[in-house]
Amino acid sequence: MTPLERAEARFGWKLVAPTIAILGLLILYPLMYNVYLSFFDVQLNGSKTFVGIENYIKLLSNSDYYSAIATTSLYLLGTVVGTTLLGLAMALLLRDPFMGRGLVNAAIMLPYVAPVISVVFGWQFLFDPISGVVNYLFVDLLGLWSERSNLIGDPDSALWVVVLFDIWKHAPIAYLLILSKLVSVSRDQYEAAAIDGYGPIGRFFHVTLPELYFVLATVVLLRLIWNLNRFEDVYLLAPNVETLPIFTYYQAFTGVIDQGLAAATSVIQLGVLSIFIWFYIKKIMKW
Amino acid sequence: MLGKKTIKGRIGFAIAILLLVSFSLLPFAQILSTSLKHQYDWGNPSLIPQSINLDAYKELLGLTEAEKVEIPAAIQKILNNPKLSADKKQAIAAKYTANDNLFPFGKYMLNSVIFSVGAASFSLVFSVMGAYSISRLRFKGQVVIQRSILFVYMVGGVLLMVPLYQMAMNVGLASSLWGSAFCLFLIYIVQTLPVGMYMLGNYFRGIPFALEEAAMMDGCSRKEAIIKVVLPLSLPMLATVFIYCFIIGWNEYLFASVFLKQYPEFHTLPLALQELFVSKNAIWDRIMAASMLTLAPIVICFLFASRFMKGGKTDGGVKG
Repeated sequence: MTPLERAEARFGWKLVAPTIAILGLLILYPLMYNVYLSFFDVQLNGSKTFVGIENYIKLLSNSDYYSAIATTSLYLLGTVVGTTLLGLAMALLLRDPFMGRGLVNAAIMLPYVAPVISVVFGWQFLFDPISGVVNYLFVDLLGLWSERSNLIGDPDSALWVVVLFDIWKHAPIAYLLILSKLVSVSRDQYEAAAIDGYGPIGRFFHVTLPELYFVLATVVLLRLIWNLNRFEDVYLLAPNVETLPIFTYYQAFTGVIDQGLAAATSVIQLGVLSIFIWFYIKKIMKW
Repeated sequence: MLGKKTIKGRIGFAIAILLLVSFSLLPFAQILSTSLKHQYDWGNPSLIPQSINLDAYKELLGLTEAEKVEIPAAIQKILNNPKLSADKKQAIAAKYTANDNLFPFGKYMLNSVIFSVGAASFSLVFSVMGAYSISRLRFKGQVVIQRSILFVYMVGGVLLMVPLYQMAMNVGLASSLWGSAFCLFLIYIVQTLPVGMYMLGNYFRGIPFALEEAAMMDGCSRKEAIIKVVLPLSLPMLATVFIYCFIIGWNEYLFASVFLKQYPEFHTLPLALQELFVSKNAIWDRIMAASMLTLAPIVICFLFASRFMKGGKTDGGVKG
């Protein structure tokens, strides 16, 4: 190493040191500490007693845990499929320039940037059994249901409201990712496919989709990664939809508090998350 | 591509755009509309209020004149009791006449501003330093750091709530008001720092090294080259990262509820709004007006930042 290189290395470490210290202390260390905590009976005031793997046994024999897993799976399935499809549709629709595209773009990005806490109230009002537009539309106008119902109050239907909310909020991200790839597909390919006799639908399946394969996989993986730990969007809109993060939150901070059990849940969840991240790193980032 | 040349195609296209924009904007329109409606008008599905009602906004922004509240007769009796000290009398009277602190929106907004602007500023400084280091300087371990950043970037707050709370408990911070606030502040920095590092790292890589080299040949040190060349070139991106971090802090609910729930005077807007919603003071127009006012700074920031957000933003997928 030349002195110059050594100076550069020293400067590099100096600059990145605060970041490493903060992230190490408040993310990496807590993740490991969490594993430690999962073997203890942990009280809210910080007192702990070692219980071995009892938390895990308790967790795996808890039927609520399995129902939380089922809810989370449905949530992930609904949001991943919905967001990807809507994002794709938006990208195809808005690909070519037209008058007012900038405005349309700003309008559809708004759900993504808006604070969850303020938009959930708008959604709650829309689905309100007495004043809400949704009930008005489906019951009074279209007559699809026989009577007004509280869609957010009932956990089964609330799950789908929460899924729709997530699609509404995160399709813009999928749209941006897909669009940036879509605009790079060359016109020649479409012309060649047209000469081969493919119509618009054939061209979509033979040109567009293969080109987008990679970016669609990216979108799916990122949705899985972010939505596995999604808390606010679900809890604030419909606290009765118990996905895993909400299940953990209830264990840790409400009712009969069992932070050790919550820690055990988080450990398992981190394991699953790591698999998703590993896929993302291997297949998308190609490290 | 979608056969926009025919009339039919054009109409179909216009309808699709209209549906898409309505879907995106309907909840916002609903919030705005309800915030302006009188109570008798809530059940009316039309988005246009029959008459505009600004009371909720006035009340939240503290523009209503304090109403004189009648002290109930029973309380008046107690107050007339000569045995009571003057201090106590005043305290009781104050309790029964106070009507201005139903929902101190201004205070919550200020709390939110302090937390999110403060955390975003710290985050920006650290991420400029860190991002420059991992994107520009060569040293051992650089790649490992870069990859770890991506990993921690994707770890959600939910997985950290129990250990962070317990850590705060162990060092005794979680049991005091300022300690809790300090913890939350640190957590907001941690939540935004990886995002900032990630966005800035990608951006710095795109700035030609020759520019810094030229500055250094002119006698600048590396530090001066960063301050005089790299940072001015990155201003739009710095603004974007700052706004992005600000938005994350502004929107955060989970940790605010874990650390600050028992300290109402330090509540941030998301926490305060949620508490308002579940309290007996929940009135739709007030909630909607509060939502609108929470939304406004973000929309303004976004309109400002979207000019800069064209490139770079989608690299690798932003948080969300």
